[in-house]
Amino acid sequence: MAMADTGKDMDLDGLFAQAREERLGLPESLQAAILADAAAVQAEWQAPEPEKPVRGGFWLQLRQAVGGWPALGGLAAASAAGLWIGFTGPEFLPDPLDLVTASAEVETVPYDNFDLAVLLAEDFE
Amino acid sequence: MTPGSAPSDDALLVLFANGDGQAAAELTARLGPRAFGTAFRVLGNRAEAEDVTQEAMVRLWRIAPDWEQGKAKVSTWLYRVVMNLCIDLKRRQRGGHVDLDAVPEPEDPARSAAETLQERARWDALQGALMQLPERQRQAVVLRHIEELSNPEIAGVMDISVEAVESLTARGKRALAKALAGRREELGYGNG
Repeated sequence: MAMADTGKDMDLDGLFAQAREERLGLPESLQAAILADAAAVQAEWQAPEPEKPVRGGFWLQLRQAVGGWPALGGLAAASAAGLWIGFTGPEFLPDPLDLVTASAEVETVPYDNFDLAVLLAEDFE
Repeated sequence: MTPGSAPSDDALLVLFANGDGQAAAELTARLGPRAFGTAFRVLGNRAEAEDVTQEAMVRLWRIAPDWEQGKAKVSTWLYRVVMNLCIDLKRRQRGGHVDLDAVPEPEDPARSAAETLQERARWDALQGALMQLPERQRQAVVLRHIEELSNPEIAGVMDISVEAVESLTARGKRALAKALAGRREELGYGNG
């Protein structure tokens, strides 16, 4: 584009040249704000990522605390068994006392071996 | 950075992305005045120009880690952001209320006191004439004749063809000349 098409263009060129010479400086407050922004952006990059909050409410937190679905399955099975025994009574289960006495009897039988009993009987004779 | 050779804007941006605070200061010193001056010439309002400049620079800081060296000039990218922000601002003003501060205001007193009245009159005359141009013409004229960008660079900034840039700057210059035609003597250019 011709820069001096007319005499009027010469006026414009002079004005443009003056505008370039008098280029505005950056106001101090703006410069400070720009540099503060720069520091803030850099700080964002350097900051560790915040821990993600546990979401999902009480049940999800409980599941995670217990140890996940497998642990929760075992807990549910044990709870159901306890509830069943509570309602039906323990009749179908062996009496623990019987178990104890039965084992005591076994331990107090002196000679449960036939051969040994015969031998001892011979001794008494 | 080697002594005696100034790092490129690209290199400074990479340094900034790596946490170098001094790179931010250097880039601000290089690019800040150009962004601010352009925004001021296009918007005709200091407060708005400051807001646009600050926002454009924040976008520059944020893009730093993803900047692809050699793909585009940092200054061209910044001019483009400034121009888009100016357009957005004007669009919002046309759609809603017009900021009362958006009237061209004088330079700060310290600067004005140091200038001659005639320099001041020329500055105001050029700015007043620029503000009469359609927005795209004003952008093209400011980038071409005050920021001294090449036509291809302006085409990249404004996302238009080089031919469109030539057309905009030519029409803009003619309109400016017409607006200032009656003020030659007043502005100290005489009749020659």
